[in-house]
Amino acid sequence: MSDAKQPPRDSNDPFAVWRDWLVQSERQWNGMLNEMMASDQFAQSMGRWMELYLGAQKSVNESLGRALAGLGVPNRDDVAELGQRLSAIEERLARIETLVERGTGVSAASTERRRPPRTRKPPAAKPPASRPPASPTRE
Amino acid sequence: MTQPAGAPEQNLARQVRLEVERTIQRGLRGLDYVTGGDPAVGLTPKTSIWSRGTLKLYHYHAQADEVYRLPLVLVMSLVSKPYILDLAPGQSLVEFLVKKGFDVYMIDWGVPRPEDCRLRLEDYVLDFLPECLDKVARDSGESEASIVGYCMGGLLASMYAALHTEGPLRNLVCFTTPIDFDGMGLFKRWTDPRHFDVDRIVDSLGNVPPELLYASFNLLRPVSQAVGRVQLWDNLWNDRFVESYRRFDRWAADQIPFPGECFRQTTKELQQENKLVKKEFLLGGRRIDLAEIKVPLLHVVAEHDHIVPYDASRALVPMVGSEDKTEVMLKGGHVSLVAGANAVNRLWPRIEAWLSERSL
Repeated sequence: MSDAKQPPRDSNDPFAVWRDWLVQSERQWNGMLNEMMASDQFAQSMGRWMELYLGAQKSVNESLGRALAGLGVPNRDDVAELGQRLSAIEERLARIETLVERGTGVSAASTERRRPPRTRKPPAAKPPASRPPASPTRE
Repeated sequence: MTQPAGAPEQNLARQVRLEVERTIQRGLRGLDYVTGGDPAVGLTPKTSIWSRGTLKLYHYHAQADEVYRLPLVLVMSLVSKPYILDLAPGQSLVEFLVKKGFDVYMIDWGVPRPEDCRLRLEDYVLDFLPECLDKVARDSGESEASIVGYCMGGLLASMYAALHTEGPLRNLVCFTTPIDFDGMGLFKRWTDPRHFDVDRIVDSLGNVPPELLYASFNLLRPVSQAVGRVQLWDNLWNDRFVESYRRFDRWAADQIPFPGECFRQTTKELQQENKLVKKEFLLGGRRIDLAEIKVPLLHVVAEHDHIVPYDASRALVPMVGSEDKTEVMLKGGHVSLVAGANAVNRLWPRIEAWLSERSL
């Protein structure tokens, strides 16, 4: 089902029956297929499909890697290694920034935002109940 | 009341006319739908106050004359983008909270890069989250804060709360948070260690690709995507429906990779061995016992949640040690609970009421 809200039904709408049928069918089919997918056989098939997927990925990566190496172009691992080095630099910068902030008490992003007073009270100011029920409430 | 003579014929004629008009509109707007770009999302004004790697900490600009004393930090899931909480003006939890006088921050984990495949839950719970809260404290000038965690964000926040009992957390709000992974329905079946080799997946792929995550979420309701398309065609004449559909559809398809080591840890230790409920789950050598959480807790669950079923989320409230703890079940699904058309009447006022009196 879509999360977008369906418009209200018109009682004279000749398509209303079809729309209701569509929603009911969706529930029934989802339910039926979910039951089927809950079986051990389905989990086994998914596992096999995943192995095939990983095998295909591996051969694509290997042949692509060979082709890129032949062309002198960096492959995924090279880019990832470069990314790791950049991440390490970012980490260091973040640590330096934190130390500077702690030392000076000034944050790089603390300016230019409106700061209203922190004095707001709830609309109907009443203290929270000391021990509200822990049992679930349904609404 | 008696109907005037000829009323059924008039009604029929009116309906036929309406249907013809709608069919023309469908044709015209269908073209717009196909050729139109992605709808704008995440429009509530904000400033990035800190970033580290792909992580960004945002502060939303105040829209009220006074704000509550405690800042509010939104923690998103690791597998989806945070703009579901800020879809569009009028359809945004963030906008609602800001207008109601909350000082809102958001932790956006970003899109993991290939090298982020080494990130583990320890990185998120023991490093990133505490550092974000430290930044919020410095930015806001307040030493305490409330956290709102959605789905896996709630799980991260709960783990954080259990391991950081000395503060700065004052209130914890979780939406549809999985705790008892034996209740995860089909996901539990599909990740059965006899058939699902998580080591091979992570060792081969690094991060888990978004296509795999998208496919597995869609498989939970295999017919719904096709039915959704039919409903879209049926409502193509209706601008509001189409706009809303496009935003949800964009978000649902906008999956991000799952950091590999984190996926391995979640699958093995939580999904397969269910260690959190058994109080055997360790992070950084420290055992997580949710009973250590003593701060006020609100857990909101969705009645028709097919991603995190109630069987998986119901354990949170009984397990925490807080005296002030409440579970509320609202009508809706995993996503419509926080951002659907009814969220504005159901979830949002509920959060405002609960948090406002605890944010002084």
